[in-house]
Amino acid sequence: MEGTEYAIEARDLTYAYEDGTLALDGVNLNARRGKVTGILGGNGAGKSTLFLNLNGVLRPKRGTVLVDGAPVRYDKKGLMDLRRRVGIVFQDPDDQLFSADVYRDISFGPVNLGLGAEEVRRRVAWAMERTGVTALRDKPTHALSYGQKKRVAIAGVLAMEPQVVILDEPTAGLDPQGVGEIMRLITELRDGLGITFLIATHDMDIVPLYCDRAYLLSGGKVTGEGTVEELLTQPELLRENHLRLPRIAHLMEILRDVDGLDADRSAATISAARREIKRILGTE
Amino acid sequence: MGTDRYAYCSPLRRMDPLGKGFVSLLASVVCLCCGMAAVGLFTMLLMGGLTILWGGQKLRTFGHFMKIPLAFLAIGSLTMVVQAYPPESALLVGIPVGDMLWGVDRAGLWEGASMFCRALGVVASMYFLALTTPVVDLTQGLRRLHVPALMVELMELIYRFIFTLTDGADRIRVAQKSRLGYGSARRSIDDVGVLASMVFLRAWRQGDRVYAALESRGYTGALTTLARDYESGKPCFWAAAGVCAAQLGIFALERWLL
Repeated sequence: MEGTEYAIEARDLTYAYEDGTLALDGVNLNARRGKVTGILGGNGAGKSTLFLNLNGVLRPKRGTVLVDGAPVRYDKKGLMDLRRRVGIVFQDPDDQLFSADVYRDISFGPVNLGLGAEEVRRRVAWAMERTGVTALRDKPTHALSYGQKKRVAIAGVLAMEPQVVILDEPTAGLDPQGVGEIMRLITELRDGLGITFLIATHDMDIVPLYCDRAYLLSGGKVTGEGTVEELLTQPELLRENHLRLPRIAHLMEILRDVDGLDADRSAATISAARREIKRILGTE
Repeated sequence: MGTDRYAYCSPLRRMDPLGKGFVSLLASVVCLCCGMAAVGLFTMLLMGGLTILWGGQKLRTFGHFMKIPLAFLAIGSLTMVVQAYPPESALLVGIPVGDMLWGVDRAGLWEGASMFCRALGVVASMYFLALTTPVVDLTQGLRRLHVPALMVELMELIYRFIFTLTDGADRIRVAQKSRLGYGSARRSIDDVGVLASMVFLRAWRQGDRVYAALESRGYTGALTTLARDYESGKPCFWAAAGVCAAQLGIFALERWLL
């Protein structure tokens, strides 16, 4: 049944800047409930504009955003409801954390929802617990590391108990361990709370590990879509969109095209590649 | 270094900021009104003691912060102490300049010393607040005192973004230096100009992004948040009463002795 399968949907979404430049041009996409959907695109592809449209900060020139199958209303109440259900975690946590106090920053969203003090406190405590920042609650924001700020930013969105969380470049600026931690947190939240995630990234190596489906975005248009396996079998399409194959999928491509081995090129993770190599060697 | 770093470590950090503000304010006002050197010195010792023993700061930290305004206080008091007198005045020390005698007389010295000591007392009182209360709690206190929300919000935003601005400015300066910026006095002026304009532009752009982020979390014109619960400020009122009584005691004693 349509409207229940997708947590959020964009139909023919078109957005133009004040000078007339089309930032989004007829974008159609949907994110399945409880799944991680990747939005892949190079710099300037329109990812950030798309997200601000999905959360009602920007209003599309044409087209519709549907949350839970219902079109978004742009009156005050409709927008507040949209922002409650769809949260954005911005790329730079320094843009998002406006308060010098961690606890107060996280409380901002729930307070705006008009909840009572008790409920706000419960949600802040819960969001801090889920994101592992409880120990940071008495620290000033400027004393946190980049990764800690990112977690606090996620907690601030989580405290609004959204159905959909949009993350703009969640791994940018993090060290490899930080990337692993943030992505594990996202998977935990997806599995534990059934939150739907939309993730903008050009870090191709995380895509096969964490995304269930993905869209390619370029010049404000959707230029490709499908399961991650489907997209990875089209390396030309990725390259046209200023992207590349994940390293492991690239290795599989070379084994196949240069060395003439019968390697499955959608094997893009270490475990898939390991299985594939064992299969080729005939040890499995 | 700022006092905030120390305030975050103070055991009084979670205590009601209004209570702590009351102690500081009452001690300052009494110290100023009494107008005596002994009360000033005593207030400094008392508030220093409170900051160290109750506020959990090291003597070294308190001493370090007391040293900062010392030079200003000394210069300020000196201008009160050294004055021009008619040629035949009885001065402690003096040198004739033109047809006047510039120097120090007993009354002037006494007044300068009293001013200096009172200023020390007030500064120490304010340090009690500053070294036990982070800025975010102070602004929360101001909110509760019904200071206009716009002012409090501006203070909070400025305080928050000072750190990202200085970080950005530092990075630009390093980038300039790494390409031989600030090589000569003339170049330095140019480079500072470029730095200032870049910091301004970046702040402008970040302002846009911060606004979008606020909107996405349901901002509708007020930066209202919920602070963690504070511990009761009641002990502060006892402390304030104690400090005030001791100050008045010293005041009476000085009056009686002189």
